[in-house]
Amino acid sequence: MAKSDDCVHILQGLLVFGNVIIGMCGIALTAECIYFVSSPHGLYPLLKATENSDIYAAAWIGIFVGLALFALSILGIIGVIKASRSLLLVYIILMLITFAFEMASCITAATHQDSLTPELFLKQMLERYQEPANNSDNEVTKTWNELMLQNHCCGVLGPSDWQEYTSAFRLTHSDADYPWPRTCCVLDARGLPVNLDGCKLGVPGYYNSNGCYDAISGPVNTHAWGVAWFGFAILCWTFCVLLGTMFYWSGIEY
Amino acid sequence: HPHSRPRHPGARTMLPLLLLLLPAAHGIAQLRYRPALSREPPLEGLTTASTFVLDQPRCVFKDYGNADIWLVVALEQAVSTFNNTAGPGTPETAFQGFPDPVRAYMTLNATLANYPCPKPDGDITVLRVGSETSCAQDVMRPTCNGPLPGPGPYRVKFLALEGSVPVAETAWSVPIMLRTAKSPSSISTTGSGHSAGMIAITTILSILFAILLAGLVAMLVFWGSDSCGGSSTFSKPESVTVRRYNTHHVYDQPAARL
Repeated sequence: MAKSDDCVHILQGLLVFGNVIIGMCGIALTAECIYFVSSPHGLYPLLKATENSDIYAAAWIGIFVGLALFALSILGIIGVIKASRSLLLVYIILMLITFAFEMASCITAATHQDSLTPELFLKQMLERYQEPANNSDNEVTKTWNELMLQNHCCGVLGPSDWQEYTSAFRLTHSDADYPWPRTCCVLDARGLPVNLDGCKLGVPGYYNSNGCYDAISGPVNTHAWGVAWFGFAILCWTFCVLLGTMFYWSGIEY
Repeated sequence: HPHSRPRHPGARTMLPLLLLLLPAAHGIAQLRYRPALSREPPLEGLTTASTFVLDQPRCVFKDYGNADIWLVVALEQAVSTFNNTAGPGTPETAFQGFPDPVRAYMTLNATLANYPCPKPDGDITVLRVGSETSCAQDVMRPTCNGPLPGPGPYRVKFLALEGSVPVAETAWSVPIMLRTAKSPSSISTTGSGHSAGMIAITTILSILFAILLAGLVAMLVFWGSDSCGGSSTFSKPESVTVRRYNTHHVYDQPAARL
């Protein structure tokens, strides 16, 4: 008797502990997804232009799943302590629904992270970057200019992107005057090239020779990993807690 | 300085020599320099779609301080037919007529003062062929250094003229090809397929979800029946259930008496 009471108490304790962890992870997931959605890196226009902004959809789902996990963990703690069959049944069903949503979010984030290759950004940049920015591609051009200025980079793989491919930029800017956009030059405090001829020739030190892909893929990958893999870890833990709860539920006296 | 003409008036024996020397007197000094694309420092824009960058001919035209040094840019097939006496700034060598009907044009006029020798260390001494876009269509500027109209191949040489007389030339360069730009629609964005991580996440989560669903179904099916919970029934904290009470002694006593 005493032994089975101890078992009961241990199981209850474990389930309460598990639910507390789920609650805290839910809050963390919500915070992380809010951070990504309000991304300070300003890359959302680029992702939206590639028609590949599902990583943001995954983050939005993550926000609501996180809140749901927190609320359900409280319900779960109450249900375990009171050993109420009906409460725990509601808890289990709602947790399964939340599990399904979070699963969708993780898989979406992981799938779309794979599809963000350099070629995707290269094609989009060549087709949409236009200086000065006209109305339809304003966002893309402004985002690229800020990206190139802040990270001292040029193009996706390098300035030769503008040489190897024709582009919307090339239609309005001659190859001799603008082998690559002026934003690729090293600029002084007033925003003018330090040495325009040096930039046009491609003399090291007067132009940015790196590509911007690293500056794009770094934040996006962190973002996708944060949503996908943290969500995956939470789901594994939730799985164990749910199995324990089901076991506990089936043992509660009717 | 130009080659001096031998003067032997009235010396008949010298006539054959005179005749032999006359063609040589009209000859142009062949300098042993071959123009080439600039190698030092490495330039990103060495060749673009319409320009290329040559090294300046430093220390090449040392003896020709009075001459104008011109750059001749020709289509590869026009190299053998180029006439050194064709003057710069004429319709036959105007940039605006290049490549048809003009097959070679002359541009980038300079003198020896522009190419001091020796070259100071650390200076970048290059000539960018094709950098002047403002005069590309201006027929009043036939010696415009305009952007090249196609990918080439082109060959160049330097020609020194005194007045309108060519006095020295370098060798023709090797053929120079410019870049050709591809269309962005040729970039394939189909992606590299699914990574191992994504497959792992999908598989594992699907299995976990399936187990949970099975567990839920099992729970609901066996609702109410104690068959699974018989040996591990938990008691609720508020209610006290007495599991077993021993009634043996009540029945045993009468049996023992009998």
